[in-house]
Amino acid sequence: MKYSHTKWIALVLFVLALVLPFVVQNPYYLHLITMVYVNAILAMGFALIYSTGLITLGASAFWGIGAYASTLLVMKSGLSFWLAMPASTMMTGMVALCFGFLLMRYPGVGFVVFTLLICFVIERMFVYIKIFGGWGGIIGIPPPNPIHLPFYSFDFSSKIPYYYLSLFLFLVTAIFFYSLYSSRIGRAWRAIKLDSRLAEAVGVYVNGYRLAAFVVASTFTGLAGSFYAHYSMTINPETFGILKSIHIQIYAILGGLESYILGPLTGSIVFTLLPEFLQISPEIEPYVTGTVLILIVIFLPGGLAGFAQRIPTVLFRWYTAIARK
Amino acid sequence: MALLKVEKLSKFFGGLNALTELELDVFHSEILGIIGPNGAGKTTLFNLITGFLAPTSGRIIFEGEDIAGLRTDQITRRGVTRTFQTSILYMQATCFENVLMGYHMHYRQPKWKAFLHTRAAYEEESVAKRKAIEILEFMGLAQLKDELASNLPHGQQRALGICIALATAPKLLLLDEPATGMNPKETAGLMKQIKKLRDRDITIVLVEHNMRAIMNLCDRIVVLNYGEKIAEGSPQEIRGNTQVIEAYLGKEY
Repeated sequence: MKYSHTKWIALVLFVLALVLPFVVQNPYYLHLITMVYVNAILAMGFALIYSTGLITLGASAFWGIGAYASTLLVMKSGLSFWLAMPASTMMTGMVALCFGFLLMRYPGVGFVVFTLLICFVIERMFVYIKIFGGWGGIIGIPPPNPIHLPFYSFDFSSKIPYYYLSLFLFLVTAIFFYSLYSSRIGRAWRAIKLDSRLAEAVGVYVNGYRLAAFVVASTFTGLAGSFYAHYSMTINPETFGILKSIHIQIYAILGGLESYILGPLTGSIVFTLLPEFLQISPEIEPYVTGTVLILIVIFLPGGLAGFAQRIPTVLFRWYTAIARK
Repeated sequence: MALLKVEKLSKFFGGLNALTELELDVFHSEILGIIGPNGAGKTTLFNLITGFLAPTSGRIIFEGEDIAGLRTDQITRRGVTRTFQTSILYMQATCFENVLMGYHMHYRQPKWKAFLHTRAAYEEESVAKRKAIEILEFMGLAQLKDELASNLPHGQQRALGICIALATAPKLLLLDEPATGMNPKETAGLMKQIKKLRDRDITIVLVEHNMRAIMNLCDRIVVLNYGEKIAEGSPQEIRGNTQVIEAYLGKEY
């Protein structure tokens, strides 16, 4: 992998991200980019689980758990958002741990099916248990409490503080995950993904490592949920259903899983922004998106990020081929 | 006392009796050969010892502890490692990465320190990397360390499999047909390396079809047929045993 290129690209993107709200004043665009960060966190969570060789269809359920937990902690228990966020994040992690013990018995197809089941069950739970507000969900979720620093006060009355908060959460997630991937823990995950039988034969406790990945990924997914609840200020069960899980898969896989961080980010950028900018009527939009997805699956096995990394090489080859003529 | 003691070990798969009440001892620092026709139960025995299968009945006692039914990674951590009959490697990883993975169970620094990339964790990784190179050199694969495992010719893939097993620093090493697909020169090299392993105090159990390797390397040989032990003894005794010859070796031996 072109390691040195990656670092420079990341730096450039980071600087761009920091100054973006000063360049892009339109609140709708800011909203889109904020959602890019949220979706990127979700996609990175999917990628983390995928790095151990498992595919989850239940990510949206944990997004929802984080969202509803944070909402209820603030609205019913009167907690400050800044306490509710870590609390709901931890709660999501614990729920993931409970499910995880069961899920680890069925790696492979069983895992996919069971996570799908979790997705449905959790969605139903949000509909039928009174406290979650039923189909209409919960509205009027308060924004985060203002933060008062010596030189500046953040209050969440405009989109800009939300933008920076989501950027911050994205960076925390990316750095945390990268730290894991570059340690021996990440190496063990890679071994498990390449050949779990061999990994077990050399002393890797496969189920333990997979469970850890699942819990960590779900915890950060819950974190994104907590943010989302207080950002969009209304939540309903449909947002956290199977369709979102599929979207998360798309962000991750079509973004490219050669890099578990840049791939999900790329996919999240493209597939959050693309439908908006194509400006097609809602009737045919699914067909267009679907066609694009199929084309990418067929022609770009490394996903978009993988393709992007190869562009310099491809261009070079074209150039030399033309120059020879 | 035997390093490994297999007591009345049986494995039944529905109608198939893979192993029936097998009794076997493996002693420190010996090279024990296990031979028998295909289907005799040799690989099943390895699978049982290393936890890939649970026995139907019987005990497997390693260093005084019954390890039957434990998870494979738990058994590896106790000092029993195997290689595989087919090349089981991390195909999309380099040779170096493959062997490095075998060192996993030796890490002593806590995982949170590894996550934070502390100096101690970093130094442990350096030790691991050095050991990986040493092992590659020992098996003669040092120059291939950055080559993808899938690009290796078959004989060297088998050697790499042994490297990965060595990285776990086993007390007891189970080699499942390591010489398969090797030409005579590679086989001779392998035999020398196995002898060197015994010098490093590793006890070896060898399943092989290559009779010359077995006869030259092994201190003792056990012969299996249809899941039962039909003979046990020194290479000379086995060579002369008519039952064994009938079942397996063929008249020229």
